[in-house]
Amino acid sequence: MDILIFGTISASILLLSSIGFSMVLKTEGFINVAHGQALLVGAYGALYLNHLGLPLWVAAVVAAVGCGFLGVAMNRLLFRPVKAQGILVLLFTSVGVAYVIYGVVGALAGKRMLAYDLPPMRAWQIAGEPFMTPYELAIVALAIASALGVHVFLTYTWAGKCIRAVADNEDLARARGFNPRRTSDIVWFVATALAGLAGIFLGIVGSLHTQMGWQQIIMILAVTVLGGLGSIYGVMLASVVLAFGIEIGLTVISSNYRTGLAFALIIAVLLVRPGGLQSLWGGGQLRSH
Amino acid sequence: MTSGLILFLVSILSLGAIYAVLCMALNLESGVGGLWDLGIVSFFGVGAYTYVLLTAPAAADYQAYIFGFELPIWVGAVAAMAAGALCALLIGPPTLRLKREYFLITTLAFAEVIRQFLTNESWLTNGVAGIYGLRPPLRDVVAPGNYGFVMLGMLLVGLAVVTLIARHLIAAPFGRAFKAIRENEPLAITAGIAPKRQNLMVYVLAGAISGLAGVFYIWFNTIVTPGQFTSDVTFFVWTALIIGGLGSLRGALAGGFIFVILHDILRFIPVSGEAAATVSSLRTALIGLVLIAILRWRPNGLFPERPVAFRADSEPAPASRAMVSRNA
Repeated sequence: MDILIFGTISASILLLSSIGFSMVLKTEGFINVAHGQALLVGAYGALYLNHLGLPLWVAAVVAAVGCGFLGVAMNRLLFRPVKAQGILVLLFTSVGVAYVIYGVVGALAGKRMLAYDLPPMRAWQIAGEPFMTPYELAIVALAIASALGVHVFLTYTWAGKCIRAVADNEDLARARGFNPRRTSDIVWFVATALAGLAGIFLGIVGSLHTQMGWQQIIMILAVTVLGGLGSIYGVMLASVVLAFGIEIGLTVISSNYRTGLAFALIIAVLLVRPGGLQSLWGGGQLRSH
Repeated sequence: MTSGLILFLVSILSLGAIYAVLCMALNLESGVGGLWDLGIVSFFGVGAYTYVLLTAPAAADYQAYIFGFELPIWVGAVAAMAAGALCALLIGPPTLRLKREYFLITTLAFAEVIRQFLTNESWLTNGVAGIYGLRPPLRDVVAPGNYGFVMLGMLLVGLAVVTLIARHLIAAPFGRAFKAIRENEPLAITAGIAPKRQNLMVYVLAGAISGLAGVFYIWFNTIVTPGQFTSDVTFFVWTALIIGGLGSLRGALAGGFIFVILHDILRFIPVSGEAAATVSSLRTALIGLVLIAILRWRPNGLFPERPVAFRADSEPAPASRAMVSRNA
């Protein structure tokens, strides 16, 4: 039962953190290491606003939207100008951005562990067993809603179609009248806002500390590789598989091996299926980079 | 004050030399070999621990690590290189099959697994507490005040040897084969070059050199803890190499020193405890800014790779040059 509950919660947060990362990877073609630090900005931004007196849910929304605009700004000012230089330059620009964000947040917030000021709530009981607290249930519900939202957004809206078209073939999309620049702004906004939200949830479930961005990016990378690079549906499956895999694995192995276990899992999967989980339904074969 | 400053500079240069050795290893595999490895810290850590476990005295009763043979330093150094190479030989064959981004993340994954292994298997490594009081070479024969200079000298000699070997390898058929693969892989294969074999060889070589860098790091630090071998090191070495110039020997040399100077120069300014945390955070931000700026305006680094021109003796000087062009 515990495995089921903890697995669901950590899968939800992993999912929220990884969707945006995967969207950026798919449309921009590079591994955005700064994505982990967007979680940090979201978490500490919400904390700051919360301390100013806003209720946490308002603070969370404002912080997530703020993260979205930060993402657009990063894209326009930092990533787009070097896009022509290739993915290695983009990757290490994002490492530089991650250092800057990490350093600035660290300097402002200090290295202490912090937590949100939430009234404690007892876990609901189901058949005498402790179930989730209302907070945790809200997080799971919001994560599922966000995943469905992203699916609907990509499948049925004009902007979503633009994103998929640009990700598949930018030149063709441009020829058909899609605007790749606007599309990439939308991607960055959605991706970074979701990351900010995930950071806030991570802070609600656990605590806030300046290393959380680095820790979570490691897990995001694991999820993304497991799902297949840039496959958004692969990521959804992978975060569930990974979260439950870890919770189940931890019943056998010492909990110090948390991320180690995640990576052992992806190493095992990659050796069998070098294309990640998406290759189960034939995805990823046409990717040229 | 001045003697303090000099000692500080000597220690910064020593650390710079260690980073330069790591840059050399990374440059061989990434700049020359084209392998984007985010796990270089694995071999660094494995080398360091191998060296410590073989050369340290046996564990005291409050410690828990095995071996501690007090073997001579050169045995430890050779074993560290062998361990780094062996580690690469084990990780290489499965991971080198993967495509670029997958390779990148999988090597990062291995580094993380190895770090957690070093942290948690305290019967082997004494865990988070690490192993302290390791005696670097020549410690007993030199006056303590002068030891910093001796250390710097030893590290510079080590760096020079590694540089010479790297330079030779890049100019040798081994290195030229990589340039051929990089410029035109089908043609290189037709010419009898086996890319997979080449990749594995350079990966193992980088493992051995990083293992040696691990030994140098132990000499410099005299302690070993798992916390020294986080993926931060990997990113720092990459940053250093990119600042210097990926693919260029001078770039790798200069990058190591420039990075350490940028990163540590602020340490000399005395600040209070509370401010120290802020300063160390801002230091990281500064590194990030420099990295972004270099990639924006000097994407080939401060010392970019120069094209190598071969000219037959009989030909007149600038006409008809066979160029081995450089990549982006």
